[in-house]
Amino acid sequence: MNRIWQNAAALLMVAGGAMAQTPKSGGIMKIYQRDSPASASIHEEATFSNQVPFMGIFNNLVLFRQDMPVNTPETIAPELADSWAWSDDKKTLTFKLHPGVKWHDGKPFTSADVKCTIDLLQNKLADKFRKNPRRSWYANVEAVVPNGDLEVAFKLGRPQMSMLSMLASGYAPMYPCHVSTRDMRTNPIGTGPFKFVEFKQNEVIRLAKNPDYWRRGKPYLDGIDFPIITNRATAMLAFIAGKVDMTMPTEVTQAILRDIKTQAPKAICKMVPTNVHINLIVNREKPPFDNADLRRAMALTIDRKAFIDILFEGDADMGGALLPGPEGIWGMPKAMLTALPGYSPDIAASRAAARALMVKAGYGPDKHLAIKVSTRNIPTYRDPAVILLDQLKEIYVDATLDIVETSVWFGKIERKDYAVGLNLTGNAVDDPDQAFYENYGCGSERNVTAYCSPELQKAFDAQSVETDVAKRRQMVWAIDTQLQNDIARPVIVHQRAGTCWSPDVHGYTQMSNSSYNGFRFEDVWLDR
Amino acid sequence: MAETYSRELHRAGADATSRLARFRLLLRRYPLGAAGAFILVVFVLAAIFADAITLLDPLKTNAPEKLLRPGGGHWFGSDVMGRDIYSRIIYGARISLAVSLGATAIGSLLGVAIGLASGYLGGNFDLFVQRIMDILQALPLLVLALVTSAALGPSLQNTIIAIAIPMIPASARVIRANTLSLREAAYIEAAQIQGMSEWRIALRHILPNTVAPLIVLATAQLGSAILTEASLSFLGLGVPEPAPSWGRMLSDSAAEYMRTAPWLVIFPGAAISLMVFGTNLLGDALRDILDPRQRG
Amino acid sequence: MTAYLVRRVGLMLLTLLGISIIIFVLLRLVPGNMVDILFDSAGMVDPAEKTRIAAELGLDKSIPEQYLVWISGLLHGDLGFSYVSEKSALREILPRIPVTARLALSAIAFAVLLGVPFGVISAVRQNSAIDYGLRVISLAGLSMPSFWLGLMVLMGFAALTGTLPVYTEAPKTTLDAVLLVAVPAMTVGFRSSALIMRLTRSAMLEVLRQDYVRTARAKGAGAGRVNFHHALRNALLPVITVIGLETAFLIGGLIVTETVFNIPGLARFLVESIRNRDYPIVQNLVMLTAFIVVMINFLVDLLYAALDPRVRLGA
Repeated sequence: MNRIWQNAAALLMVAGGAMAQTPKSGGIMKIYQRDSPASASIHEEATFSNQVPFMGIFNNLVLFRQDMPVNTPETIAPELADSWAWSDDKKTLTFKLHPGVKWHDGKPFTSADVKCTIDLLQNKLADKFRKNPRRSWYANVEAVVPNGDLEVAFKLGRPQMSMLSMLASGYAPMYPCHVSTRDMRTNPIGTGPFKFVEFKQNEVIRLAKNPDYWRRGKPYLDGIDFPIITNRATAMLAFIAGKVDMTMPTEVTQAILRDIKTQAPKAICKMVPTNVHINLIVNREKPPFDNADLRRAMALTIDRKAFIDILFEGDADMGGALLPGPEGIWGMPKAMLTALPGYSPDIAASRAAARALMVKAGYGPDKHLAIKVSTRNIPTYRDPAVILLDQLKEIYVDATLDIVETSVWFGKIERKDYAVGLNLTGNAVDDPDQAFYENYGCGSERNVTAYCSPELQKAFDAQSVETDVAKRRQMVWAIDTQLQNDIARPVIVHQRAGTCWSPDVHGYTQMSNSSYNGFRFEDVWLDR
Repeated sequence: MAETYSRELHRAGADATSRLARFRLLLRRYPLGAAGAFILVVFVLAAIFADAITLLDPLKTNAPEKLLRPGGGHWFGSDVMGRDIYSRIIYGARISLAVSLGATAIGSLLGVAIGLASGYLGGNFDLFVQRIMDILQALPLLVLALVTSAALGPSLQNTIIAIAIPMIPASARVIRANTLSLREAAYIEAAQIQGMSEWRIALRHILPNTVAPLIVLATAQLGSAILTEASLSFLGLGVPEPAPSWGRMLSDSAAEYMRTAPWLVIFPGAAISLMVFGTNLLGDALRDILDPRQRG
Repeated sequence: MTAYLVRRVGLMLLTLLGISIIIFVLLRLVPGNMVDILFDSAGMVDPAEKTRIAAELGLDKSIPEQYLVWISGLLHGDLGFSYVSEKSALREILPRIPVTARLALSAIAFAVLLGVPFGVISAVRQNSAIDYGLRVISLAGLSMPSFWLGLMVLMGFAALTGTLPVYTEAPKTTLDAVLLVAVPAMTVGFRSSALIMRLTRSAMLEVLRQDYVRTARAKGAGAGRVNFHHALRNALLPVITVIGLETAFLIGGLIVTETVFNIPGLARFLVESIRNRDYPIVQNLVMLTAFIVVMINFLVDLLYAALDPRVRLGA
């Protein structure tokens, strides 16, 4: 409840602030960057380490409003497309493009570029992406048909309301036809408010104002520098000392936030959900975990509050597969949540039930089950894994950690070469299609627990074509409940993290139900 | 210095032959060495009796007690997960000792075998082995250990192996040099005339005569093994979580909280430094006592 | 002399060749290669695409073939391409050399400036309180992990000044520039200074006992003159040796120090490239390291011969 008020107040302040002052042009803003992204190509990466510094180079067809913290289908605004329309059968989505838009190298932007972008994403062109992590988003697009330079139609296999939401994500920028994928990785060309200047690994990423930006008068900033600082403590000190104007978005932990509040009391900070959840993955094909009782016992021993208290100092959320409210727009209501296995506040009772299941499966105080919990070798994975190990001890499970390097991690779990793992799952868009098909769909590459329910698969399709939002929400809740009852992939906690910026920075809105959509920076300005 | 030690021993008369007197004299002559030995003994005892001298499980997470300052409940404070730093330091001694003793022992054993063979057999075999040693020595210890442990993956055993390999050349070189000079010695010739096999001569006569420099070297390597383990773990490649490796305790989370919870950084680092300091003090004294060049 | 040089250079080349083979094979043993990273970090993988990328990066060839490609490129000054940045490896490595070289040279300078004078003092005042004190301090210097020292220095700085001598952007003022090099150089050089101090001390002690020094004293030369002129010159030899020996240690120290101080140099680049399985960068950096170590040892040997007439460059 409290949080709702905080958000409302923050919204009012943002709105009030915007009205009170007229933006000033000029200045170079500095945002620290936590690591060197693998490349500059947004379509080829699956991390906001790439998203934050490079989103400003591009435009989408449509984009979630940059001044609203919660992304919903209603906050989708025109960008390169001035307008869009659904056909009556909801299988064709037509965009009218903004005239006179130019790429940073001076060539005109046309409907051909839209087609190229989607063709690239569907691996239809000779020049292919090295990586194509969101190819499945476009699985339902049968063809992209240009009609003249300034109109383009998306032909869909079945109606899919989520298509527009995905296109409105920061992950869906338009790429130029005439630039190779390789150049897009090293020297990207876009139509956006900022031009790429340089990317020095481990040192800095630099963007400069695009003086010929098609939205007249924007951007306000002369440029943005992203100095790369890998140690978080160092980075926060750089912020406190005023060496950077803004922290990397959602890199501020609750403990660091307290430090910043005392050291730099004027700083503006926001703690928001990142739409990333920590979850337990159990490979149901590997004995003894083919035993449903065992999986259920492991889900029941999870003390979510302990995770939230230790990792987030109490400031994080319990939820299902979809981000809980108020920020999340598809999450189940609290009453439904507490009825799920292991979500009850009475941990002692849950654990007693878990122990009974263990005994039933043939384990007990004298016969512990020895397992390995696989996890990725970075702190955001390792830390919760350590807590999980400790909680598994409560139900006669002696677990050790199997630390896997990032380079091997995804391959390992996708090959299902693990028994039990601790995983993080991020959702770029707060959208049921994205969450369900990718993580729980039969045969999906990222469905790493081998969970497959033919009837739920049908339910996924049914909610996807439902155009009535209220009805669709009910369907989504039912699916999510079923997933949690089946112990498909126990969701432990939905993370929250913070962003701080100096009071000199204006016009920035921290998104609160996605970490991937809010970095166009064309409305941001500095007052100093 | 060692000369004066033996002279003093002599002056002390008949009593000096008794073990206790010799020990006392050693203490007096080498107070720093004694301090080093004491430090190491304390760490070894702490590692052995870790269960007895700690009250809290080093792996037990505890939400309400996270990031507590050093004080009554937690002598050295608690970490981000509410785990007791003191317990983790004590149990961490096990890891440090296991890695340093294990790596030094493996490195020395292989080095001894290679050095003996190389020095005693000579010829092309020696030439070949020396080139391999050149190669191993041309790479900084940490660089070689980094690549090796990346190749093997993070675990206790792999860390030991990754540190042991770069240690081989030093002891191999020492043994080889000693073997070469001892080969010419009269009593070896006598043994040869008596018809002892080469391997038996090497093991019976040459090895015992090279023990002293080997001990000096091994003590020095003990220290650098501890430091290398800490560095590897600090860089995320050594002994994995949740094992309370000191180097690991210093990395990610500690560095993150160094302003808000400095005890996370101070105590593990102090433990590493103190243990290495102990080996260095002891090593210095041992060198003074054992180094044949100074024994005259 | 010429024969010796030819032999030495021959051995150096042999060593470097051996290193190149070892490092190449070792890297290919590492589980998960660049292709895995490229695809796995992104999630969805089509095996056909994986093969295509492997071919693009030349990773489908046999290991000996890949090795020959690398070595023949190396001999022509072509270091290959970084898998991550897709720039030529040379372009990635060259700009980082001055950063690390500046740090390393400052560290050595600091170590010598601190180590030699204190070593002399310690020797001249042998067994005095000051000698004991310096010896304990130097031993402590050898015992502290340099990354811990670095963290402690940072904590101190933060507590006292509220700022950090940590690299966040190219320094604007000279003071900034000096501080950004000096502080990490001191942290990493402290260990070397301790070692130099100890060796200077023992070398001085040995020399001070020798006849010609006693003769010089007997001839009435002042103590200071004797200590510095006669003794120190001879004691310099082991110091040079130490500098040779320390290079390898220093490089190890730089790896962690660059990480702690966020310095965009070669040593930290090596660690990150190992994590990214960016073979072209790792193998070339390791070769560079080996080359530097081998060269410095060679130079130290030559210098040794030049300074000490007793040492003959022979077999």
